[in-house]
Amino acid sequence: MKYRISKLIYTAGAAALLLGMGSCKKDYTDPSSVPSDQAFTTSQTLTAVATGLQRTYTAGRASSLFNRITLDGLLTNQYTVINQGNIAEYQLGQGGGTVDGTNTILGGLWTSSNKIIYDADQVIAGAAGLGDRGYASGLVAYATIMKALALGDLAMYWEKVPAGIGERVTFVDRADAYTRAIAAINAAQAGIAATPITAGFLANIPSGIDIPNTLNALKARYSLFLGNYSEALAAANAVDLTKRSVFSFNTVNLNPVFETSTSTNNVVSAAANFGLPAGLQPDPNDRRIRFYQTAAYASRIAGFDSAAASARPIYLPGEITLIKAEAYARMTPPDLANALIELNKVITKQPSADPFGVGAGLPPVVLTTQQAILDEIYRQRSIELALSGLRLEDMRRFNRPLTERKRNFLPYPFLERDNNPNTPADPAF
Amino acid sequence: MSLRLLSKLFRFRQHLMLLVLLGCSLAGLGQVRITGKVTDEGGTGRPGVSVMIRNSGTGTATDATGNYSLSTDLRPGRYTLVFSAVNSKSVESNVEVGSASSYTVNATMRQDALSLDEVVVTGVSAGTTRRSLGNYVATVNAADLTRGATGNVLAALQGKTAGAQIVQNSGDPAGGMSVRLRGVSSILSSSEPLYIVDGVIMNNSTNRVTNTQNSYDGNNFVGNIGQNRMVDINPDDIERIEVLNGAAAAAIYGSRANAGVIQIFTKRGKTGAPQVTFSTSVMSSSLREKIGVNQAPVKFGGSPDVFTQDLITNIGTAQNPALATNTTAVTRYDYQDYIFRTATGTDNTVAVSGGTDKTKYYLSGSYFYNQGIIRNTDFRRFNFRANIDQTLNNVVSFNLGLNYINSNANEKPDGNSFFSPMNSVTILGNFHDIFARDANGNLKAVGERGRVNPVSIIEDFKQGQETNRVLANMGLKVKPFKGLSIDYTLGIDNYTQNGRTFIPPFTYNVSTAFFGGAAGLDPTLNGYASTASNQFFQINNELNANYQFNITPSLGSTTQVGYSVQYERNRYSMLQGRGLSPFIETVNGASTVLPSIDDRSELSVSGVFVQQNFRFRNKLFLTGAVRVDGSSVFGENQRNQTYVKASGSYVLSEESFFREALPWWNTFKIRAAYGESGNLTGIGAYERFNTYTSAPYLNRLALTGRSRLANEDVKPERQAELELGADLSFFKDRLGLTFNWYDKRVNDLLISRQMAPTTGFSSLLDNFGSLENKGVELVLTGAPVRTKDITWQVTAIYNRNRNKVLEVGRALTLFSTNPGAPVALLEGYPVGVFYGTYFATDANGNQIKNASGFPQIERGTQVDPTTVTPGRDGTTGLPTGTTLRKVIGDPNPDWTGSLVNELRYRKLNLRVQLDAVQGVDVWNADWRTRQGVGNGEVAEQEHRGVLPRGYINSVYAIEEWRIDDGSFVKLREVSLSYNFGKVKFLSDLTLSLSGRNLISWDKYKGYDPEVNAAGQSTLLRGIDFGAVPIPRTFRFGINARF
Repeated sequence: MKYRISKLIYTAGAAALLLGMGSCKKDYTDPSSVPSDQAFTTSQTLTAVATGLQRTYTAGRASSLFNRITLDGLLTNQYTVINQGNIAEYQLGQGGGTVDGTNTILGGLWTSSNKIIYDADQVIAGAAGLGDRGYASGLVAYATIMKALALGDLAMYWEKVPAGIGERVTFVDRADAYTRAIAAINAAQAGIAATPITAGFLANIPSGIDIPNTLNALKARYSLFLGNYSEALAAANAVDLTKRSVFSFNTVNLNPVFETSTSTNNVVSAAANFGLPAGLQPDPNDRRIRFYQTAAYASRIAGFDSAAASARPIYLPGEITLIKAEAYARMTPPDLANALIELNKVITKQPSADPFGVGAGLPPVVLTTQQAILDEIYRQRSIELALSGLRLEDMRRFNRPLTERKRNFLPYPFLERDNNPNTPADPAF
Repeated sequence: MSLRLLSKLFRFRQHLMLLVLLGCSLAGLGQVRITGKVTDEGGTGRPGVSVMIRNSGTGTATDATGNYSLSTDLRPGRYTLVFSAVNSKSVESNVEVGSASSYTVNATMRQDALSLDEVVVTGVSAGTTRRSLGNYVATVNAADLTRGATGNVLAALQGKTAGAQIVQNSGDPAGGMSVRLRGVSSILSSSEPLYIVDGVIMNNSTNRVTNTQNSYDGNNFVGNIGQNRMVDINPDDIERIEVLNGAAAAAIYGSRANAGVIQIFTKRGKTGAPQVTFSTSVMSSSLREKIGVNQAPVKFGGSPDVFTQDLITNIGTAQNPALATNTTAVTRYDYQDYIFRTATGTDNTVAVSGGTDKTKYYLSGSYFYNQGIIRNTDFRRFNFRANIDQTLNNVVSFNLGLNYINSNANEKPDGNSFFSPMNSVTILGNFHDIFARDANGNLKAVGERGRVNPVSIIEDFKQGQETNRVLANMGLKVKPFKGLSIDYTLGIDNYTQNGRTFIPPFTYNVSTAFFGGAAGLDPTLNGYASTASNQFFQINNELNANYQFNITPSLGSTTQVGYSVQYERNRYSMLQGRGLSPFIETVNGASTVLPSIDDRSELSVSGVFVQQNFRFRNKLFLTGAVRVDGSSVFGENQRNQTYVKASGSYVLSEESFFREALPWWNTFKIRAAYGESGNLTGIGAYERFNTYTSAPYLNRLALTGRSRLANEDVKPERQAELELGADLSFFKDRLGLTFNWYDKRVNDLLISRQMAPTTGFSSLLDNFGSLENKGVELVLTGAPVRTKDITWQVTAIYNRNRNKVLEVGRALTLFSTNPGAPVALLEGYPVGVFYGTYFATDANGNQIKNASGFPQIERGTQVDPTTVTPGRDGTTGLPTGTTLRKVIGDPNPDWTGSLVNELRYRKLNLRVQLDAVQGVDVWNADWRTRQGVGNGEVAEQEHRGVLPRGYINSVYAIEEWRIDDGSFVKLREVSLSYNFGKVKFLSDLTLSLSGRNLISWDKYKGYDPEVNAAGQSTLLRGIDFGAVPIPRTFRFGINARF
């Protein structure tokens, strides 16, 4: 009896002990991520979030960069769809009413643009708290480039843009996005002017981006789109045309256009003559044809998407020169002489004279009327800036006929429309 | 002090007295031997019948011939022997123990259509008979699990239990299985039931240790592909499986049982001489049916070397698209002959069991090997088990179970990529000589598109995984005095799953997206290798106390209290690289190291419950329970969730008036159950936190905000289910009918609800909306013939479930998926419907065609996701406006069912099982691809001019074209066996020949509509995209005992 009872106590004790093994702890934290409220408190995490913006903008098929290049290429006939199994590309290639709010390419561009603006604002606000002003000015400027590109992408493809970030945001004219982008650039430039960017900051972000020149280049681009020609000219003149500013890629993070389109021969192919109509097609001796197109791939895509680690310029020196030409040509009163000088700089540029090797290498042109100069600027932009995502905006600005494009503005993604009652009506075309 | 309390105290003292008496009376015992034979109605000995002396804890089981022998210490007096067996009514016999030392008690068992006296454990702590249950619990026995020519326990369960839709998602030898009990019960998390093996919660997750390429990321993009870990269980070790469909009884298991419970009991030793069971079998599997391929003598366009495919390739410009109309003569190939083979396999188990009164054991070892019907794939499993039961004394008993498993699979890439065996031949015009080699002896590219040559995949790709797993359980049962029992169970499930993937560098142009080096064979990109490991550890503790006493002789009470704690930890790590050096298969050979993955998670769940049951005589039963649960994955304010349940049953046929009035109506039981449960592991361990995740980018650190915002105070889903049912049997239990009706509603549904991207996020993880499953289940059993020589047993199961998403708002949630399936969540529609573009039709329902004879996509104005106004051009009558969308298909079947006929003539046994799944749609991505690239039969019609050139191009983008009829009736299992009985030194010998998935009657245009390329995904179902079809299997087996 005694033996039995003691055994019972032992077993009960053993059971209690075992039970204790599975403790009741309920608070576990994720060791592999940073809580949102702590991500904007140190210079290291702020820099990493800013680098994350570049990642969102450029990495992979879901990136803004891929979506923007593909979207613009398809809507402006620079790309031909070669497999209609890729439904989003196919819809854009068909254009018109076939493009709707379910399209993942336009949905992706919309979503990542807003995400970049949301996080860039937090980085810029977080940088204000840093003691090292030279580090902070770099951080603000770097994040501002991503924010400006995101705002610009919204304005280039949608007629109305969100007025900000938040619940049930209202929509404003797309010009407002360019204005906001320029305001952000001005603020970033003021910061750099007060305290130049430290080398320590630049070492912490991916190499390739020339921050001061990119800020001016984007300011010139968006000022031109807004019709502020003197600002555009001033900003363009501030850009050092010998410098390169690129989104880098490597064998781990591949150039997304190469990975998805060039290499697969299965999504899109580069159209002959840059998709330009008769009368605007390139001179057969134009050396940019060979730069942008190849026979090495059935997709014929070359240029900045010719290899896995091909860097993609954020702006081209040729764009800056053509911004100057266009600003001269459009200002009141027009300065056609200077416009022609700048235009001929691009037409006569030898590939070897361009930091990226983009050069027409053609004899200069003689044009006398404003319209003739503008037409030539459009042709030169179409070729020099092929597949850079700017063509749709150019087509509208140069009043090209609607038949040359598959859509004038994009419809709003269903994701926005279904969840925000302030989403405007879709444009008819 | 109240009177009631006083009486309670008094009763407690009585028990104490009893305990003391029990201890003191040990002196009067004497050794007694009871023997006998148990037969069925035909006089044949019944093996495996449990024989228990009531209230003594002593028992044994009959041997192969139906004889039993029981030796124990008994005081003189009257004892009741209880004989019970599966599918039979229990029989009781009294024995008066006097001075003699040996007694004989024989019994005859009668088949019971409803198994009302079968003991059920699931959902109750101490075993209870089915009679008293207020909810439905199905039991499947060993004999039914091992006859179906499969080594996978879940496959063996197909069609055998009401309310379950069990789908084999892949025909791979270790292919994943999905089990849905009463429909999908969650959207965000797994809808798979809780698996319990001998008290251990068994992990059944699908871990991606192979197919590790980044193109597979994202659960709602690709799904949950590959093996799930129930594949580790050896069906031969299983004694029986209990399936609990509803929430009503889940209170006992806590809130992990939202999607039902499948409890597996393995075989245990029985008192008697050691018994050795040996079973061996050989299997042969093959493709059930090839699909037709294009036999046209020509292709469109030029040389096959230049074009991978021909039907929809645009040779025009963006402004003026055009298709090639010239043709080139080609040789056509059927690549199916190459990738498929007739596969062989073997399944062997040796088990030894036996024991004394106090110590019982069951030991087994098994070896299973099966080849896949895809060349160079196989699955091998070693499985060892030891189950020991030890009675220490009248108060304490102890049991231990240990199961070690080693499983190893040689795989090929999963269907979702274009470099899987199935897709590599689907995505190719069948005019390429894939075996042709260049001057250096290297394989050649298959056209211009950078596709992978199928020969590379079959011969050179190496992919496989290995799992080492230990399942251990320990149980302690203490019965301090009559009526009280305390059970403690400790279970551990621990496994490591290691995978390896190797794509060798290609010698020809393969796209970088498929891990080739593109046209220039870039050595930094060409080839891919990875190694991944998933380590899982889980421990569960359950402590239950059960007190049973009679308030009055006719009114009994059972009170149960329980406490449980579970903890689980998972570590996943993966190394990968590309740009491989020749000859090296490991990541060490990679010139480009890709980002590695290091995922760690921990979670714990705990709960307490009280359950009270009253029974009045043997006919009225009432149960109520309350459970409080908490889980670490949910917000701190949501740690204590309370769930209630109540159930009742009334066995009307126990009333004397009923028996007298309707003597042919043996059983009439009605029951009702209501239960609540939660989903305490409904989100991942850290999903409620808003964080920035880290990843290297261009050699710098990048932190990226999630696109999903989470409500940090999110709470578990809460399910409430009402189940009503009846069990009826007639004509001496020869006809039985079970009927269940249920209404299951999941509220506070966990959804990643869509958000306007202008908020900075695309979705919000929160409790939002609800989900409803309503349905009926019918089980009809009959024994039309039951004579000594011939028996004929019929079982028919019918299940109907209607699933609906409610209160999620009018917004459309459309998922972009890897196979292009437009899977949607829409208010008022079932989970996972296909929502997309469709054919324009006229008032008569005929397709509208243009002047070229091409069908048109519907256009007009989309008013909201489910309301459209089609537009028509005034002059041509063709559709105009924007592209319209609607629900075009539903992967949830209207009904499922099965019909089993079992015929016995003397010792010859034939069992035939038909399974039906009706009213279901499949997203047949592969069929469309075959037409687009030119190897399908519609393509052949276009080549031959039966269809106008451009027909396929015109319909290719219309999503409705990919919706296929997935309804089928399958000859699931046929088994013919002959029992020789005692043969020479063998005490029993059975030979069997069986077949599985022999015939499918369907209108499906692919191989087999029973498929899901998205694997075990809750949301993505009914998708055919490169999944290996389920083979037809034949098996010959020998089962011997000695």
